[in-house]
Formats: sequence, C-alpha cells, structure tokens
Amino acid sequence: MTEDAHARAKQLIDEERVAGNLADADRAWLAKHLRGCGACVRVAGETERAVASLRAATIEFPRNLASRTQLRVRLRADELQEHSAGKKLLWAVSGVSWVLGVASAPWVWRGFAWIGEHAGVPKPLWAMGFVLWWAIPALFAAGAILAGRKSEFEPDSD
Amino acid sequence: MIDDDVKALALGLTRRDPDLLDRLIEQYQYRLFRYLIHLTGDREHAEDFFQETWVRVLERGHQYNAKWKFEAWLFTIARNLVFDWRRKKKPQSLDELMAPSEGAAGFEPSTPPEESPLQWAVQQQSESAVQASLGRVPVVFREVLVLRFQEELSLEEIASVTSTPISTVKSRLYRGLEALRKLLPEERA
Repeated sequence: MTEDAHARAKQLIDEERVAGNLADADRAWLAKHLRGCGACVRVAGETERAVASLRAATIEFPRNLASRTQLRVRLRADELQEHSAGKKLLWAVSGVSWVLGVASAPWVWRGFAWIGEHAGVPKPLWAMGFVLWWAIPALFAAGAILAGRKSEFEPDSD
Repeated sequence: MIDDDVKALALGLTRRDPDLLDRLIEQYQYRLFRYLIHLTGDREHAEDFFQETWVRVLERGHQYNAKWKFEAWLFTIARNLVFDWRRKKKPQSLDELMAPSEGAAGFEPSTPPEESPLQWAVQQQSESAVQASLGRVPVVFREVLVLRFQEELSLEEIASVTSTPISTVKSRLYRGLEALRKLLPEERA
C-alpha cells in the first residue's frame, strides 16, 4: 500500500469523527483499506479511544460556585434596575424641561433683549447668552445619560 | 414548542429576569465551568470567569438572538472575557499565549462507579493519564476538541464561538486529534 493510501485513510478516519459522516464511496474505500492495513486499524482505534476519553473526562465542580454566582448576578441585577429607574427619571425631567424651555422661549428672548438694551450689550452677545441658557441644561442631561450608559457596562473589576 | 421556549428565553434575558438567570446558571454550570477549565488551564481563573460570564449574560441579555443556541452564545461570552483578560495581561500574540501551562489539567477524579475496587483503580489511573494528556494539548486545539466532543457543538457553532472559518475549525480538530493520539498513553492489553 502507498503512503498516499495511508494518509487518505487517516484523513477519512479523522473526518468521520470531526464531521460525523462520510460519503458512501469514501466509507466503502476506508472499510476496504482497513481490512488490509493493521497500521491504519491502530490509528482508527487510537482515534476512537481519544474521542471516548474526551467524552468521559470529568471535572469536580467547585462547591457553592453556582450559589455565589446567583447571588452576585442578583446584586448586579438590582444595581442595573436602580440605574434604569434613575435613567427613566432623568429622561422624564429632561422632557419636561425641554417642553417648558420651548414654551417659555419667547418670554426669555424678550427678557434677554430687555437686559441687553438696558446694559448696552450688543445684540449678538445677548443672543448668544440666550442660546447658551437654552442649550446648557440639555447638554448636561445628555452628558449624564451618556455617563450612565458607560458605567452600566463597565466591569466591576479587571 | 422549542421556538416558544427560545423566544421566552430571549425575552427573559432582555428583561434581565433574575429567576431565569438562576435556572440557567444551574442548568449550564458544569458545562461552562468545564469549558473555562480547559480554556484557562486553572480552577481559580475558571471560577472568576464563570461568575463574570454570568454577570455579562445579565448585562448583555438584550443582545441574545433567538436564532442562536444559548450555550454557543454563553461560550462566546466566556471566551471573549478570557481572551480580553489575556490581551490585557500579556500584550503578546495569542498563539504564544495558547501554549498549555504546566499542571493545567485541573481535573478531579470522578466518583467511583459500581465496579470492583481494582477495576475502579485501573480506571482512575487511566482517566488521570487521559486528563494529563489532554492538558498537554495546546489550548487552541484543546478548545475545539472540548467544544466538539464534550459539548457536542456543530462545526458551524464552534466557528461562531471561536470567530473562525469552519475550515480552520476542522483543521484545528484534525491537529488536536493528532496531538491527543500521540499524547495518550499506550493501551495495555
């Protein structure tokens, strides 16, 4: 028998284990080869033994690991729940503040104009003040939401 | 029916249902720990990653897709945690890090089955030799051997867990089997 035939037999022995099946022609060829080749029969036996050993391998599961993990997961779930409640509140406050901001914008604009006129501040400057008055709370809220989102997924420890 | 179960699982994970998590931990504890032992090579780290994996399952539950087998997703999370940790600890190539560590087997003898003490002793000796052999197989091959022959995952699922093409998974399995064949002690007649 040629080296190629042994190599092919070994390849098919492994493939049968790995993929779980062989084409009929390959299966027939392998069976025929194994009938006349002690070396490949030994390889097949060793493969069988290796796979059986893997399947039979056992480990001891650490005592209390599951219950410790369950406790830790519950504590983390509570933490996330609190985070989530805080975030909802923040969204609600932001929403209300935005509505009030929009509703009060004309009066605030007039207020800024009046102050600008009496203090002699140029219009672009007091207009910028109005924009900042309107935008800063929203920027703070967005920052808080993003920070909350980041900390939510940060691992507890390295 | 199975579809409904998977959908209920996905929904429970999205809602971060702690009772569901409790049940999943009980159901998959052994398999996850066994996988982590083989991946990390020691029990202490395997325990840490076991806990961390379940916390991550809670946090990322909304990312679970009902199309996936839960255990494949679970192993992917565990694997990513271990690999991230390895990258942070030692900024070397992962191939180097995958060399098996000394005494990495981390196995304990199984409980005695119903057979004669002599048979049991012989069986134990043979099993620990097998475990030691498995511990000497490089992690990159050991991992796929464990996923295929202990966890019974399909080649596609292993490819998904390890983020590698199926051809690479197959090649690793062939090389893993070859390594294990060479390392297994000779069978006595």
